[in-house]
Amino acid sequence: MRFMVLVKADKNSEAGVLPDAKILAAMGKYNEELVKAGVMLAGEGLHASSKGARVRFADGKTTVIDGPFTEAKELIAGFWMWQVKSKQEAIDWLKRAPFGGGTEIEIRQVFEPEDFGAEFTPELREQEDRIRAEIGRKR
Amino acid sequence: MRFMMLMIPQGYEKATPGTMPDADAVARMMKYNESLQKAGVLLALDGLHPPSMGARVTFAGGKPKVTDGPFAEAKEVLGGYWMIQVKSKEEAVEWASRCPASASETIEIRQVQEFSDFPSDVQKAAAGFVEIQAQSGRPTRS
Repeated sequence: MRFMVLVKADKNSEAGVLPDAKILAAMGKYNEELVKAGVMLAGEGLHASSKGARVRFADGKTTVIDGPFTEAKELIAGFWMWQVKSKQEAIDWLKRAPFGGGTEIEIRQVFEPEDFGAEFTPELREQEDRIRAEIGRKR
Repeated sequence: MRFMMLMIPQGYEKATPGTMPDADAVARMMKYNESLQKAGVLLALDGLHPPSMGARVTFAGGKPKVTDGPFAEAKEVLGGYWMIQVKSKEEAVEWASRCPASASETIEIRQVQEFSDFPSDVQKAAAGFVEIQAQSGRPTRS
């Protein structure tokens, strides 16, 4: 099963402060362990929300709001995608991460086609497979 | 440049374990996904089970503390994401605006950090990360 591991934003990430060499080295080592164990599928950092936007939807109309989103408490600064056998395995991996005080991480299970059961009709599944095959080629 | 379109569905923070999206909504969304793919902008996409099935880990004093979901204090949670490759933030906003989202949903657009965005000293310290990313596996799907 796959889990998305969401690293929450803090004052520094929102201010665009980049991690120092020591943190980068520790994180690099950790990432290497994840890759060697076959756990890490992807990992990315996000620019501060000041470079982003939000789109809201109402009655077929959209409203665009430019960042930063200072009122939001749940902003994300980056994520990993992990392949593990259980939620507990994801938690165990996360406990070894070189994070200091104040960092908050959220672990969320990713939907797989089989999670949907019969609602996910053969037609929808075929469409999903086709899209995934195409984007797989693009990567 | 790459952007993440983060889907934030209002109320999903309270969804019970095993909550599934509505079949009609999924069908509409699949059409949209296909339009992204046909335009050559789609790199990845996934939906997330509700936070009541997840966990949070905090590192106060460097010590990990695990809290199982749901997260009572959360006002907004992620429901899923798209990773897209476009030429500008405006193009990303344009794509997000075409999403068949409901009035209770918001899409947040965030630019992904590329290695070349970092100053040279940070690039040096993070050398090897690009290689790690290239080595990282792909989802195995049946």
